[in-house]
Amino acid sequence: MGRYVIRRLIQAIPVLFGATLLIFCIVFALPGDPIAALFGDKRPDPAIAEVLREQYHLNDPLLLQYWYYISGVLFRGDFGVNFADVPVSQIMAGKFQVTLNLALTALVMEAVIGVGLGLWAALRRGKATDTMILASTLLFISVPTLVTGFVLQLLLGVKLKQWTGADIFPVAGTFAGWRSYLLPGFVLAGTSIAYLTRLTRTSLAETLRADYIRTATAKGLSRRRVVGRHGLRNALIPLVTFLGADLGNLMGGAVITETIFNLQGIGNQLFQSVYLREQPVVVGIVTILVLIYILANLVVDMLYALLDPRIRYE
Amino acid sequence: MRVTKGAQIVAGTALLALAVAACGGGASDSGGTAAGGGDTTPVRMEIGEPQELLVPQNTTETEGSEVLAALFSPLVGYDENKQPVEEAAESVTTEDSKVWTIKLKSGYTWHDGTAVTAADYARAWNYAALQDNAMSASYFFGRIDGYEDVHPGEGKKPSAKEMKGLKVVDDLTLEVTLAAPFSQFKTMLGYTAFYPLPESAIGPDGKVTQAYGEQPIGQGLFKLDKPYKKGTDATIEASVYDKFPGKKPSNWTKLQFKVYTSAETAYNDLQAENLDVDDSLPPSAIASAKAALGDRYFDEPDASIGYIGVPLKYNPDFQDVQVRRAISLAIDRKTIAETVFSGTRAPADDFINPAIPGYRQGACDACTYNPAEAKKLYDEAGGPKNIEVGYNADGGHKEWIEAVANNLRANLGIEVTPKPFEKFQGILDALDGKEYKGLFRMGWAIDYPAAENYLSPIFGTGAIESGSNYGGYSNKEFDELIKKGDQATDAAEGLKFYQQADDILIKELPYIPVYFYRSNFGHSTKVKNVKLNLLNQIDWADVEKA
Amino acid sequence: MSNPTPPVGPGLPDTQTLVTEPTRAPEREGKKAKTGKPASLWTDAWYDLRRRPMFILSVIIIFVLLVMSFWPSLFTSIDPFNARSCDLSTARQGPSPGHLFGRDNLGCDLYARTIYGARNSIIIGVFTTIVTTLIGSLLGIIAGYKGGAVDAVSSRFTEIFFAIPAILGALLIAATFRGRANSILLVIVALGVLGWPMTYRIMRAAVITAKSQDFVVAARALGAGAGRIMFRHLLPNSLAPVIVVATINLGGFIAAEAALSFLGVGVLSPDISWGLMIADARNRFLEAPLPLVFPAAFLCVTVLAFIMMGDAVRDALDPKLR
Repeated sequence: MGRYVIRRLIQAIPVLFGATLLIFCIVFALPGDPIAALFGDKRPDPAIAEVLREQYHLNDPLLLQYWYYISGVLFRGDFGVNFADVPVSQIMAGKFQVTLNLALTALVMEAVIGVGLGLWAALRRGKATDTMILASTLLFISVPTLVTGFVLQLLLGVKLKQWTGADIFPVAGTFAGWRSYLLPGFVLAGTSIAYLTRLTRTSLAETLRADYIRTATAKGLSRRRVVGRHGLRNALIPLVTFLGADLGNLMGGAVITETIFNLQGIGNQLFQSVYLREQPVVVGIVTILVLIYILANLVVDMLYALLDPRIRYE
Repeated sequence: MRVTKGAQIVAGTALLALAVAACGGGASDSGGTAAGGGDTTPVRMEIGEPQELLVPQNTTETEGSEVLAALFSPLVGYDENKQPVEEAAESVTTEDSKVWTIKLKSGYTWHDGTAVTAADYARAWNYAALQDNAMSASYFFGRIDGYEDVHPGEGKKPSAKEMKGLKVVDDLTLEVTLAAPFSQFKTMLGYTAFYPLPESAIGPDGKVTQAYGEQPIGQGLFKLDKPYKKGTDATIEASVYDKFPGKKPSNWTKLQFKVYTSAETAYNDLQAENLDVDDSLPPSAIASAKAALGDRYFDEPDASIGYIGVPLKYNPDFQDVQVRRAISLAIDRKTIAETVFSGTRAPADDFINPAIPGYRQGACDACTYNPAEAKKLYDEAGGPKNIEVGYNADGGHKEWIEAVANNLRANLGIEVTPKPFEKFQGILDALDGKEYKGLFRMGWAIDYPAAENYLSPIFGTGAIESGSNYGGYSNKEFDELIKKGDQATDAAEGLKFYQQADDILIKELPYIPVYFYRSNFGHSTKVKNVKLNLLNQIDWADVEKA
Repeated sequence: MSNPTPPVGPGLPDTQTLVTEPTRAPEREGKKAKTGKPASLWTDAWYDLRRRPMFILSVIIIFVLLVMSFWPSLFTSIDPFNARSCDLSTARQGPSPGHLFGRDNLGCDLYARTIYGARNSIIIGVFTTIVTTLIGSLLGIIAGYKGGAVDAVSSRFTEIFFAIPAILGALLIAATFRGRANSILLVIVALGVLGWPMTYRIMRAAVITAKSQDFVVAARALGAGAGRIMFRHLLPNSLAPVIVVATINLGGFIAAEAALSFLGVGVLSPDISWGLMIADARNRFLEAPLPLVFPAAFLCVTVLAFIMMGDAVRDALDPKLR
């Protein structure tokens, strides 16, 4: 197992370097002068622009800039500063917190709603409930986040308040604490809830057909016990791995949700930094997201081995 | 100064504009972090995220300026007649508009207790002007004698560290010699760039320290409670500085700036009384704000202007003044101001903004909507059949540019293509590189409240190379009049010449003025007597808790 | 785009539910048995599809959308590209006779703009799918067949693209080249560059399964070259899962285009797209929801139609899942 982890980590190194270099190149190619961007509608004083360019190594060739950046990250754990001299790590810390809160809210909703619905459908397999649930998952998969976001914002954020006077779901921002995350969390989770419902249904249905379930039923165990103890436990494996892998997806895919609900997370930050051409911020965020992706996948594979004794890693 | 609010007001893609980045982090509603008992709950003010660290000499946008204005006391403020009056200065005098003597009031101290001296001003201004420090406000000092030595331009090394025009006479007297007479110099002194810097702000390497930028020590009404960590903190907290010699608020001591990234969110908080002062109401909220806030809603002129710029230097098609007049007459400013901006802009009818002395209502005769006349003029002059209108996509300009394009298409019968550029600078680069020669949007927020600031920095021949004259307009008569105005020995006399220069612009329309900005702000029931000054900053000393 | 898939790590049991072995579909009772000839996977699937109401419904919707994209003037007499059809003073007015959906923020007819918005969505969806399927399949088939170092390198390479969050990566690419190329082409490229790794994985897995089968071994024994084996034998037998994922992705790409346009890096004005309309309507959304609701509704129906079709095709091609 240990050797396997090490091998996986070593394999991740080129992926990490490749991804950061790729992003670095793209940001490097972004049109417009990052220094000019700082001056808004005024033409920057060329003398000042020159000093700033020198200060941020913008006159150096691409690979040298990349070296400055990556050596800072590797040897000093320093992600650099943006053009207002604010450390990128400081910027990222705050934003990652918001996105993590959002992603975790979404993950909990996925687990509760997705598994719940999937279970229900599996137990009512072939009946009307099952068909209804399946049809609604199709709907959920199809409606883009862009649309669910705005529709729920209007219905639950604004209209609900107008009709009932209850301010349950804030329209935007994070000023209302954890309640701020409920609505965007659900919007972000939308598609995943639907996938998880389907996965739970398929997985549990497959398990329930297995011989040992038949044996358990034949032994005279109650249905609750058969499903709960024997069925669900084994059906859980793909679900846990799905959730694990989805955390990275949720964090990387939150930009639309964050924009609609004005949450200042990494998606939003990245979006703004792309426009300000803040290379270190963009690359920093993507690097961390890639890391999360790699680690999440590794953890998921470990979980496989833990949950299913038949799998052994060399 | 840049209007970062303008960008903020129009959400959508504008969210990414300029300084509108900020943190979340789940700040508490009530802002109950204030120490002490019940009556120290803070007065809460809306801002967008400051773009840079809080260094006055590097702050040329509205949000950072708003914070700094609470921490610093300017040399001059502005009275109801928009005239400069001394604040931290005892007097600002001149004989010839060239040599200015600034006497400071005694009794001002830095927030760390040390006295403020004339040397602190000289230090700050020299620091700002020195090219190597790359301070964005350095151009404010360009009129001071010796600026060329410390700021010789691209590729050249400064030959001095200090401007020879700045002389510290004694602890409370500063003598400023300008390179050429400038009658409006006193009005400039109220600006962020002219705040002083304490000795402790400069680190061993000769630069302003990071720590100072996070927690600047000022000499004004409020003192920061703790460093502001940009990107992480959702609030900036300050308390009244007890040794401040000027007027203090009568019944409150804590001020809190809440950083918002969306004008809509801030407006919601204002209605829920989670915010006390909001000066960037979104256009979508204006209609409801009048009803919801009643006499707590205010709509006042703001000193900024929006134009359609004409690339005179780059495109012969627009040389004929009749073409420019026709385009101007074809724009339905009133409907655009009312519909696209919901009244957060007013139709422009002069090159000088109504917020500033010197504005004349209805001065621009070609700024009225007259599609029939426009069509006639345009056809007679044989204007181009295809024109482009460039705009920067990062500032929420798309909608009004599309509206202007629709006006021109429908009224002049020509093809008009709105062309988005990443940044405003992109338009300028494309013009310079001869890749683009269409019309372009342009905005101007003043650097100091004088009519002159709407004229020479944008239309003066000298501003083509080093200023903001992006269209390349050049008129000798205009330049002469500006010079006469500058040399006048008092501001009122100068204004007469500036208005004559304005008349030339109105006749020639080097740019087409489209709208004046408006300041739309409101406050909660918890405060009263909230007023914006000429720089769109709140006079905190006058605000009372209700 | 961000559809999560269970990860496939090296040395892991294949968890790709979409991957089918290229076996013949099991014999089924019913009409086709009468022909006496064993049906191929494709005819079998076609037979199955024709009986699915979901499939038929989605095909009808897609047909209408295609007509709408090619001949929008069949649906509306107003040309949204003509400025005279817009009247700023009527901005945000509700539905009225002649203006079925009302007016948008610039006083232009919402119905006409929504109809004309279909074309770009369809173009982008279809071409992005073609691009990603071509790149993914080609690399996948080579990696799967060659194995060894080629496989290792190309798999790492693919992982780089997999690891970058798709929508953020596409945002970056689109922002980088915005204004320097046709905006629609740019969206296709941006989505294509980050959209192919999924197809790659599926193709590779399918090829690895197929290559150890007897007919491949036989072909090789008969002296067939690598090219011939890959494209004559492996490709047709590994195509089913790729086609399934392509149809499902098509809907996803249309949604992704709307997301990019919404973020300001997709389709640019004066071109019309539903995402762009949503972005434009956004500021006044709470005041005037219709200019956002109508393009959003069309977008949903379109994505739903393609995903429904994909779902049906998968069920038909992948009997194991039934």
